[in-house]
Amino acid sequence: MEFIDYIIYASIYLGLIATVFYALSYSVFKKRKELLFSDEELPFVSVLIPAWNEEDTIQKTIESIMASNYKDFEVLVIDDGSKDKTFQLAKALEKKYPRLKVYHKENGGKASALNFGIEKSKGDFIFTMDADTYVHPESVNRMVRYFKDSKVMCVSPAMLVYKPKTILQRIQQAEYLLGLFLRKAFSALDAIFVTPGAFSAYRKEFFKKHGGYEVGNITEDLELALRIQYEGYRIENCPNAPAWTIAPAKFKESLLQRRRWYHGWLKNLWKYRKIFGKKYGDLGSFVIPTAGLNIVFSVVVLVYALFKTISSINTELAFLSTVNFSLSGAWNINLYILERFAFLFFSNPVMIFIIIFIVIFTVYTRYATRKTGKVPGLLFNMFLFFVFFSIIFGFWWIVSIIYTAFHKNVKWR
Amino acid sequence: MEPTQNRPFQNKKRYLWAFIIGTAIFALVFIISNSIAFLEFQKVSNIQDSLAYKIFEDKIYASFFNQSICTDNSLQNLSQDLGFQGQIIDDMEKKFGKNDPQVLDRKKFYTLVELEHLEFIQAQIKNCNLSMNTILFFYSNKDPDLERSTEIGRLLNEVYLKEPDKITIYSFDINLDSDLIRSLLQKYNVTQSPTLIINGNATVTEPIRIENVQKYLF
Repeated sequence: MEFIDYIIYASIYLGLIATVFYALSYSVFKKRKELLFSDEELPFVSVLIPAWNEEDTIQKTIESIMASNYKDFEVLVIDDGSKDKTFQLAKALEKKYPRLKVYHKENGGKASALNFGIEKSKGDFIFTMDADTYVHPESVNRMVRYFKDSKVMCVSPAMLVYKPKTILQRIQQAEYLLGLFLRKAFSALDAIFVTPGAFSAYRKEFFKKHGGYEVGNITEDLELALRIQYEGYRIENCPNAPAWTIAPAKFKESLLQRRRWYHGWLKNLWKYRKIFGKKYGDLGSFVIPTAGLNIVFSVVVLVYALFKTISSINTELAFLSTVNFSLSGAWNINLYILERFAFLFFSNPVMIFIIIFIVIFTVYTRYATRKTGKVPGLLFNMFLFFVFFSIIFGFWWIVSIIYTAFHKNVKWR
Repeated sequence: MEPTQNRPFQNKKRYLWAFIIGTAIFALVFIISNSIAFLEFQKVSNIQDSLAYKIFEDKIYASFFNQSICTDNSLQNLSQDLGFQGQIIDDMEKKFGKNDPQVLDRKKFYTLVELEHLEFIQAQIKNCNLSMNTILFFYSNKDPDLERSTEIGRLLNEVYLKEPDKITIYSFDINLDSDLIRSLLQKYNVTQSPTLIINGNATVTEPIRIENVQKYLF
């Protein structure tokens, strides 16, 4: 066996143990009764929508939250110095929706816009919502109930991709769907360390006691999630509260987004590095280290695969030149070739592991669709995910690690 | 609203169970894949035995019962079976290891079957004017010749596919611990790998291009 085989098997082994662990955690959690607000206890909430140059989507986002079945809420749009018609379009809806208030401030970044909104808000519970996000009418209602437990500082929804069209968007849709089960398993362990900035709910008291969003942090939502965990509070997950966000359609856009996320993740993890270790229980000893190891394995395998592919292409071109680029065997499929292929396939442990992980992912997907509803094009999206995601994921991480290692500045857009 | 200090593990035993179940699944997969490989090995061994029986039977009919070998086309048709046997034994070697005793035994038996087939074909060429090219391919499964041997093997496959009815290729591992192999190397004066002996007399040691082989074929 080569060195890379050991890496691949080590990553598979870790993946298996982690999967079993999370499945066991979820099954124990299912037997517990969740602490939830009853209908009579539902509090007044504030929904904050920071926006910068979002004229294409702001109106639809506002209409989406206004369609919520929740009874007592206000919506504050904070225009962060947009140069387009975001402010005007949002302001025009104030007459239509009495619950809506639109503010304008000088550009200062998403964190400053959210902090501004927190100051203006009346509710004890804050929902933050990106200006290109749409929510299910029941999502606010279902999420806010988890704040009955006084230790819960944040509740995350079931994040999905809005109407994926391109291959990249479809892959991300599959990624988000598969993540829903894990997110619930993490919440069962008090180990959620990433909350979606596109739509999440917070207890206002946390901001009062521990400060608002960190201005200047390009992943202020990730920093907040880690801070909540660091301070010893809980983050819950509501898997049947769907929220749809617009995913990047093109590779360059997705690379910019992921570079910001992953660079931010590394920087924030370094800031809260004391979370690693036994003091933070399952989160510090297993969940975050496992996620980190998974990333390392992905990067190593991708780098190896890249060099191997280049070397194989060189070798193949050299061989093809010796046969004058005329391959008689290319279309020669017979029973022997099929039998050899079947033997090489099924006697390779990696292929059997792949089948096992496909079954696991099918279970995750079934969980996700039961909670969020049917997803059009699911099978095709899953196929694209299996074929391309590990390559793209490794590439995103390599770029992010390089940026972090060389202290390069990463911007929002 | 005070936070939890020194957050405890939910259940440490769960890690033990995850380790046990995960390890069991991991081991089970290797058991399954090795079982599949072993079953295929058994199947290939049985086919090889049948192939050998067919070759020996035809030769007995010719030598003992004086049946004319010129009317017997069956062994020519076995060349594709032989080719598959050789490739699958190579796959087994990669799967079970170069020094696995069962694989080594099969390789030795395969060498014998190949030579029996070659002898029969040579007799047909001599006595029946059979138009058939024979290529003896001496390869190595060890470094530093392994990579080059693999390339030549692919090149020969292309040669074969261009005229499968007129070419039979016999592959011999020069590292196999077998008297037959040692005798073959001596007979054809093979001192390095990869080496091709084409139609019993043309020795080609560095077939860089397909033409280097084709020029010796008729």
